[in-house]
Amino acid sequence: MTSFRFAVLAGAMFFAAAPALAEDITIGLATAQTGGLAFADQPSLVGFKIAVDEINARGGLGGKYKITLDIKDTRTDTATTVQAAQELVAAGVKVLITPCDADPSIAAGQISQPAQIPTFTFCGTTPTIPDAVGDYMFGTYPADNAQAAILAEHAVAKGYKTGYILKSPDSAYTLKLPEYFAQAFTKKGGQMLGEGTYTMGQQDFAAEVTKIKALNPQPDFIMTAAYEPDFPAFLQQLRGAGITAPVLGSDGIDSPTTTGLGAIADGIVHTTAGFPSEGSKLAAFYESFKTATGNAPETVYVATGYEIPYIIDAAVTAAGTMDGPALRDAIANLKDVEVVTGKVTYAGTNRMPSRDITLVEIQGGARKSILLATPNPADVPAP
Amino acid sequence: MDLVLQQIVNAVSLGGIYALLALGLAVVFSIVSLINFAHGELMTVAGYGMFFALAVSLPFPLALLLAVSVAVIAALLTERFAFRPMRKADVTGLLLTSFAVSAILRVIFQNGISARPKPVPLPAGLTGVVEIGSLHIGIVPLLSIVTAALSLALLLLFLKHTTLGKAMRAAAEDFEVLRLMGIKANRVIAMAFAVSGVLAGIAAVLWIAQRGSVDPLMGFVPVLKAFVAAVIGGLGSLSGAVAGGFALGILEVLFQAFLPDAALPYRDAFVLSFVILILVWRPDGLIPAPVSRRS
Repeated sequence: MTSFRFAVLAGAMFFAAAPALAEDITIGLATAQTGGLAFADQPSLVGFKIAVDEINARGGLGGKYKITLDIKDTRTDTATTVQAAQELVAAGVKVLITPCDADPSIAAGQISQPAQIPTFTFCGTTPTIPDAVGDYMFGTYPADNAQAAILAEHAVAKGYKTGYILKSPDSAYTLKLPEYFAQAFTKKGGQMLGEGTYTMGQQDFAAEVTKIKALNPQPDFIMTAAYEPDFPAFLQQLRGAGITAPVLGSDGIDSPTTTGLGAIADGIVHTTAGFPSEGSKLAAFYESFKTATGNAPETVYVATGYEIPYIIDAAVTAAGTMDGPALRDAIANLKDVEVVTGKVTYAGTNRMPSRDITLVEIQGGARKSILLATPNPADVPAP
Repeated sequence: MDLVLQQIVNAVSLGGIYALLALGLAVVFSIVSLINFAHGELMTVAGYGMFFALAVSLPFPLALLLAVSVAVIAALLTERFAFRPMRKADVTGLLLTSFAVSAILRVIFQNGISARPKPVPLPAGLTGVVEIGSLHIGIVPLLSIVTAALSLALLLLFLKHTTLGKAMRAAAEDFEVLRLMGIKANRVIAMAFAVSGVLAGIAAVLWIAQRGSVDPLMGFVPVLKAFVAAVIGGLGSLSGAVAGGFALGILEVLFQAFLPDAALPYRDAFVLSFVILILVWRPDGLIPAPVSRRS
């Protein structure tokens, strides 16, 4: 090869492979890698990093902004989250990611909102998060009221007429999700026969179960947003008392513990952000995750974390810039972004996205997807 | 009447677990004046022992044995490497050490094993119900009652009839005199930790049987309950710890069962208010230690 041709070729390759205009931008993550939220934030971050590597390999966000990550552990402490958010905002991050919970997300959002930095909660499900902060705050995960709407639709389709909810005032999730559900179910003509209350972490559900057993007539189903360790204890004692009404649950019980409960878990129907049905995009992602890391993902949070950079990428591509206000508008106008668990839409929402939710049923120690749909906005109870 | 009987069974089974936990704290406190807040993490260790044993498909009884053994080993290791170097420290220093051990262990579980709960499935036979008359008694609560009673009886035999047991009781009364009698301090203290490890292991098995999973932060609630129970009973008093455990279990179940619906969310507030009343009535606990220490 002549040196001239080599130089031309090298020059061409240089321009093709690395657009000289590429700019490095930083995404700040103030998330809980230790403490009580690590069960959700840790897997979310694992997925997030994989997506960032993939996007960088393709040339960056919108094809031109290479991503650097600034990751801070908030130790599940709201004050630490605020401090981390302040440091990240001061460092000039272009996008901020906050923990999987309303309180720290809202607190961190108060810092990034005035700085005009688009902010996403990793997997906070409380539908009031964006409105509590302002127009730069976005959710990504299926919201509590949307999950409730899908479940209520299922209950009605099953022909259930009467229901019972079990809730706990200890968290917004365990309290509001069953309440949203009752709202959606009665709006569609169902009737609630009553409700029970529990304390999170209580091992003993005998009192609640005795109350349900005393109902006459018995409810057609029991709905709860309880998760482990409460859910297994409740279910064991419920079935132990001879109550056979089907149980409807939320994404909190999307863990191997539930299927590990054996025969008593049969017939449970619950919502989840995504399920790797054969041939689905999520199944393919799980497969490539397993190849890359040697382990199967422990939870769907890996996938929902993985989707966030792609949502940002779609917005940056539309906006053509990382500029705060333009990016905010681009995110708010996103429609039907294809991600691994389905489709995500922000247009026409309060920035808690309208997105696909999966319903799964447990039979014989395994889950099976029975529905993948976006709830009808008219059926979703107002937050 | 049935409802009352049913609730009594529930109260005794929960009380039994709390008694085992509180006893684990009291055994150590009576000898080294340490409230070991890492006691909950010993339970978590036992839980992971059970999880890994079942994961390599060891038979269930062996898994239980392994769970208790790893709790004992963990108790001895924390004694040797964390608490022994701090033995000359005052009560506050020891307390902070136990918080540190607890925090370190939790982060090790989160980053070394998984931040996600790991399922510990019980054999199908254990999730059933026994019907006695019109009473439905779960097999797990029934086993809890039997196991707690057996463990307490065995511990009593050990303390009353073995040299090491007698030494431990003597140490609780006057450690210096015990040493003058030629008993090795390290052995007595290590033994106390080993006993607390056994109790934590057994309590962990019963606790996990109800929840079906083990997670890194699992030990927090039980150690808090154990601490409250030990205080009600009289810190440092072994029989007090048992009495306090049962008292707390009974209070919790009674309030849960008989509070009106509107007040149910405040159950814990009612329970703790009652605990305060008990302490106003008996500031040193239900059955105070021979040498009263309020920490």
